[in-house]
Amino acid sequence: MPRSLLSPQERDAALEAFATTRTGRAKPSQYWKIDLETLVPNASANGAAGAVAIENTSSRAIAVDLQTAARDHATLLHRAFRRAIEAQHKFAQLALANASLGAFIYVPADCALDAPIVVRYRAADDEAIFPYTVVLAERGARATIIERLELGSRALACGVAEIVTEESADVTYASAQFAPQDARVLFTRVARPGRDARVAWASAELGASLSVTDLAITIEQPGVDARIATLFFPTGAQHVDIVSSVDHRTGDATSETLVKSAAAGRGQGRYLGNIRIAAHAQHSDASLRDDALLLSPSAHIDSIPALEIAANDVKAYHGATVGALDDESIFYMTSRGIDRDAAERMIALGFFEPAIDRFPTESLRDELRVALQAKVTA
Amino acid sequence: MAEQGLRIAGLHSSVEGNEILKGVDLTVEAGKVHALMGPNGSGKSTLAFSLTGHPHYDVTAGTVTLDGIDLLALSPDKRARAGLFLSFQYPAAIPGVKVPNFLYAARQAVRPGELTPAKFRALLLEKMDVLGMDPSFLGRYLNDGFSGGEKKRLEMLQLAVLAPKYAILDETDSGLDVDALQDVSDTINALRVSEEGKTSGFLIITHYPRILQHITPDVVHVMIDGRIVKTGGPDLAQRIEREGYDTLREETGAIA
Repeated sequence: MPRSLLSPQERDAALEAFATTRTGRAKPSQYWKIDLETLVPNASANGAAGAVAIENTSSRAIAVDLQTAARDHATLLHRAFRRAIEAQHKFAQLALANASLGAFIYVPADCALDAPIVVRYRAADDEAIFPYTVVLAERGARATIIERLELGSRALACGVAEIVTEESADVTYASAQFAPQDARVLFTRVARPGRDARVAWASAELGASLSVTDLAITIEQPGVDARIATLFFPTGAQHVDIVSSVDHRTGDATSETLVKSAAAGRGQGRYLGNIRIAAHAQHSDASLRDDALLLSPSAHIDSIPALEIAANDVKAYHGATVGALDDESIFYMTSRGIDRDAAERMIALGFFEPAIDRFPTESLRDELRVALQAKVTA
Repeated sequence: MAEQGLRIAGLHSSVEGNEILKGVDLTVEAGKVHALMGPNGSGKSTLAFSLTGHPHYDVTAGTVTLDGIDLLALSPDKRARAGLFLSFQYPAAIPGVKVPNFLYAARQAVRPGELTPAKFRALLLEKMDVLGMDPSFLGRYLNDGFSGGEKKRLEMLQLAVLAPKYAILDETDSGLDVDALQDVSDTINALRVSEEGKTSGFLIITHYPRILQHITPDVVHVMIDGRIVKTGGPDLAQRIEREGYDTLREETGAIA
């Protein structure tokens, strides 16, 4: 059995933090049926489950499983491991306590990767996995990471991705989740970029019965360019809960959050978009764009932007829409001979396109389009 | 043989229970250009939307046939596939749908299977050149962030690419500068002499006679208060330019 990366004391502390921390997420409602405060994703009875496979074509970057990293690259690993997540990330504490499966990606200074590093986490039917990805990008390094989850029926994945960068690094981390309809997925993704660094999260939550995601960027250095793009689309009886948080703890930094969601069938979505700008974080520039599309009368999306701005010399933009497909748009397309179903499909897919555009490879973007199309058509 | 032409007879149409069209009779023959003029609020756009099947417009009486096909029995997409086209005064902006993808879907819908994507792209670029449209339009989303003039040009590009049997242009000339008006007129005139478009009939809805100096109409109709009150030749448009609608209103007894 692979050993934990934590001492027994640290592990107990993480479990304690998981047990006592509240998610801060909304309670169950007439629409949303699951209480996240009492949810305890249990580990598999058979101990360490799952597998990780990593594709890396660069000879300079290190991309290894977490056990190997702990053995061979401990010093590097500990420059990033647990440096971004915080105690308030409840499910991250559980993932941390159980962390044995994972990946460590290290990109040395001024190394620009030409191909994405792909990390695949696998769980068999009924397995629970706690995958933990750690990314350390040194000064001026550039990398794209694509995380894939390959889950069996009724599987559970409760994981973390942490990014720590030095100055002027540029890291894009994309995760696209197409898990089976009875799987559950809970992820916490937190980045701590260095001065003048750019960090981008791109996340798509399309599978699983329950998907709970935290996407966070903590800005503690000036010049940071922080990007969060997420798309989700609960259909059938799927529940998706996303919280994005951009924390401007220092000024002269830019953030942009883009959220595109749709719901059909009895699909339930919740989104909370936090933008915090501390009192001394002057000259921050933060934008939040959040659009939700309701495609059936029983589908529901709660979308809440939460801007806490304590500084007085900042730019903060926020725009949100919730609605059905626009009748005028449908009429316009049908007046050109396109049948109504096809018109609705094109408009709904087009709605997601600005978020799809934030994903790093054309094949991944096409995969998202195909999955979204299937959901629109279903 | 079915009766050719876009034939409108005794058409009544309402919006939210208010009758706007009160019995419109008008026939556009294949290959002909008809102008429909009239003051604001006379029902010109209502006619355009009623013909194309906009869901907010309720046709309560009358018939419309396109080369013998009963248009009113068809959904908007089937009307387009029968050969009807409307150039919108205010076309919808649809973010995320790229111009060429939309145009290709529309072309395939109205003229199935004729063009490969590569040939279609060549056709698009050729028509865009006539309209003075930069190839960068192909990377843009449908009407998203377009200026008024760009929207009108895109409507004309669609007209050129779809080459419908009957085209209704709803105030395509409004808001255009002289150069844009020339480009729009060139596109229509080029379509009229093309193989695909030489039998196309046009109903040009306009407030001003200006566009009719570029495209000579065969017939001019004047609509006031939901009815065609006068029909004549191109000289009728010139008379409206001189006198406005008031004398016609008095002469025909139309209630303003």
